[in-house]
Amino acid sequence: MNEIPLIFFLWVGAFLFASGLSIILIKRNVIFVLMGVELMLNAANLNLIAFSRGDEQNQGLMMGLFVLVIGVCEMSIALAIILQVYRRFKKIDIDQFQSRN
Amino acid sequence: MIMNSPLMIGFLALTFLTCGSAFFMLWTKNVLHAALAMFMTMLGLAGFYVLAFADIMAVSHLMIYVGGVLILILFGIMMTGQRASKTGETNELFTEQKGRFWAFTIGLSVFFGLSWLLGQQHFYAFADIDQHSKLGQVGLSFMLEYSFPFELTGVFLLIALVGATYIAKNHE
Repeated sequence: MNEIPLIFFLWVGAFLFASGLSIILIKRNVIFVLMGVELMLNAANLNLIAFSRGDEQNQGLMMGLFVLVIGVCEMSIALAIILQVYRRFKKIDIDQFQSRN
Repeated sequence: MIMNSPLMIGFLALTFLTCGSAFFMLWTKNVLHAALAMFMTMLGLAGFYVLAFADIMAVSHLMIYVGGVLILILFGIMMTGQRASKTGETNELFTEQKGRFWAFTIGLSVFFGLSWLLGQQHFYAFADIDQHSKLGQVGLSFMLEYSFPFELTGVFLLIALVGATYIAKNHE
């Protein structure tokens, strides 16, 4: 046995997920929140890859590649929306959006 | 023993890189420094993919995240005027934070809860892990059993990128 145990990968994934969640909760800047979302996405992806290490059919690996593409789509559309929000309101804080009850 | 093999030393170094820069992203208030820390996190993650014997994933992750998404984020930071900090230094960008205590509490409890939960499980250990490159297998799978999702993600990516350029257009 010369491989790294599976649980180590899972611990790193858990740490990345928790820090991404904290970034989403703490920061008031929309771009910062998006970075936290990316961190959580990659934590989940790391778990997929770690679980598919010994799989002959590479199912987790294929799923991870598709997740990568979907993450890029999400990021580009979110940044385009942020750009429009900035053009309209000159500000991208989360707290500026208040519901009208 | 596994603990002092070169693979394990590399894993520990990557863990310090990845987790340290992820924590720095959480700690800093400067959004540009956070983008730089995200770059280091993505480098560490690509290293993890290499250590998990998924070379194609590591290369595509590096190309897409470091080459694409990070540049996109930097453009986003530049095109949405960030506030400077009160100290008056010219390239200090400042982000408001709120509810620090609760966020840290929730983050810590998620981390320890997940670690505990994963430690409880007994995952089936694969007898022999294939340490060779998976590039050929992945290419064949894309053309054979995953051909429909492959085409679907291609069309989805096209639609998303065209939609993103349309949304970002200056509608006047």
